Amino acid sequence: MTRPPGSRPTVSAAGLALRYRGTRAVDDVTLRLTEGVTGLLGPNGAGKTTLLRILATATPPDNGAFTVLGHDPSTVRGRQDARGALGYLPQNPGFHPDFTAFEFIDYVAILKELTDRRTRHAEARRVLDAVGLADVRGKRIRKLSGGMRQRVALAAALVGDPKFLVLDEPTVGLDPEQRMRFRELIAEAGEGRTVLLSTHQTEDVAMLCHRVVVMDKGRVRFDGTAAELTAVADGRVWSSAERQPGARAGWRTGTGEFRNVGDPPAGARLVDPTLEDGYLLALGGDTPAEVAA
Amino acid sequence: MSWHADDGDLREYAHGVLAAPRLWSVETHLAACADCRAALTAHVPAAETDAGWARLDAELDAPRPGPVESLLIRVGVADHTARLLAATPVLRRSWLGAVVLTLLLAVGVGLAASPLMLLATAPLLPLVGVAVSFGPGLDPTYEMAVVAPTHTFRLLMIRTVAVLSTTTVLSGLASLTLPSYGLAALGWLLPALALTSTGVALTARLGPVLAPALVGAGWTALVALSGLLASGTPLPFTAEGQGAAAAVAVVATALLVTARDRFDSGRRLGPSFRSL
Repeated sequence: MTRPPGSRPTVSAAGLALRYRGTRAVDDVTLRLTEGVTGLLGPNGAGKTTLLRILATATPPDNGAFTVLGHDPSTVRGRQDARGALGYLPQNPGFHPDFTAFEFIDYVAILKELTDRRTRHAEARRVLDAVGLADVRGKRIRKLSGGMRQRVALAAALVGDPKFLVLDEPTVGLDPEQRMRFRELIAEAGEGRTVLLSTHQTEDVAMLCHRVVVMDKGRVRFDGTAAELTAVADGRVWSSAERQPGARAGWRTGTGEFRNVGDPPAGARLVDPTLEDGYLLALGGDTPAEVAA
Repeated sequence: MSWHADDGDLREYAHGVLAAPRLWSVETHLAACADCRAALTAHVPAAETDAGWARLDAELDAPRPGPVESLLIRVGVADHTARLLAATPVLRRSWLGAVVLTLLLAVGVGLAASPLMLLATAPLLPLVGVAVSFGPGLDPTYEMAVVAPTHTFRLLMIRTVAVLSTTTVLSGLASLTLPSYGLAALGWLLPALALTSTGVALTARLGPVLAPALVGAGWTALVALSGLLASGTPLPFTAEGQGAAAAVAVVATALLVTARDRFDSGRRLGPSFRSL
């Protein structure tokens, strides 16, 4: 169980914008993150990864400013300090495949400027233990399963005990059991840290996050708690025997009935909304094609 | 065993405060006496025993440096720098294989006709090697490295040294196969330094793709033109050309040092950096 999140902002961003290949990948994003796990939800191409790369200092914004744990990454000193205080798990983490898990973490620890050999090795053992990979630390990464590799990447992000953790879709490609295990790890990582978790799975948000930010087309569409996101769909979800042309999204459920989200017609059979319904409505006018039935 | 260590001595030994010469006596005795070793165990704090096991465990599964890394450590390079050097992305079999193949082809032409192919090709190898080290193309850990607190310039220099050293050794070996040309077969060395330092220095302004591409194209054009225009040794491989290459290497290195902060400025390096 995560402890109640802090209310003091640890990461603040105002007016962040970045154009990428002619489009506004991030468009006037203002955020204040606090301790605990914040979920960043959005469809593919919403700008989640670009925003995460900005906050992780991998790429500077065209406009806007942000601070990470009080450090201003627009200055050389501030950026170095911010980088020393953050851990980043990219969307497609790469590895030197011939390294063992221990060697890879050791390499990452060197990049994080842990130069003392004994301290570095103790840290490698600590983070590999934390993600449950103590028994395979001597195994070559190319021989590890996808789930284990993802845990190695999380261990790499945890090196140096960062207080701000940026996780870009870490549960993609994992089977249900691995996903549950990973959620436990993220929940543990959120103890005493600020974690920004990008995902397009509402289950991740429902299980892990004290707060959720919905992005689409580079802009923030919603910022609040999971319960508040669910409440967005109060009175706007109904079931019907036939497809409802006026619904913003509709799909046939296991019962054979259609579940519709949008503005219900008079006399519609309203049903309890879920987080996913709220998410679909928060996205605004465009219905994600994969959801529409 | 006719005698056993004094209990007080064992306690002091366990806490690391027993002084010589009693220390030597107890230590020698402990090596031969199982009873005293057992008695010593009772005096050793449990936390210290656990820490000792942890240290032993850590040593047992600590990474074993490879031959290159071991050699670097033996000649005095810090172990963390040696690891960064050995982990340079392009120093993999595929890249080294391509370098060796290129040099073999160049040497083949050299044995048949003149060393010009080797002299023209060898300087391009470190230029390309450094260029591809500085980006996501060959570095699988690029995303993690780019947000690490290690200065980008330092990482770039480490990788440049690793690539330059490797290609210099390989090109040097290739030159040994052309003994009839004497020192002229080493005419690639100064141009290699000049091209690499110029490429890296321009990267600060033009980015990691455009800068080495321009430098490589310029070099190729220079060699081709001077080969066409001069009947003897092409200009870059004459004494004057070698002197010019040395001067360019020095100037480019000086420019690189003055521009080093640009690599850590957080701004994009040149027009192509956005796609990295």
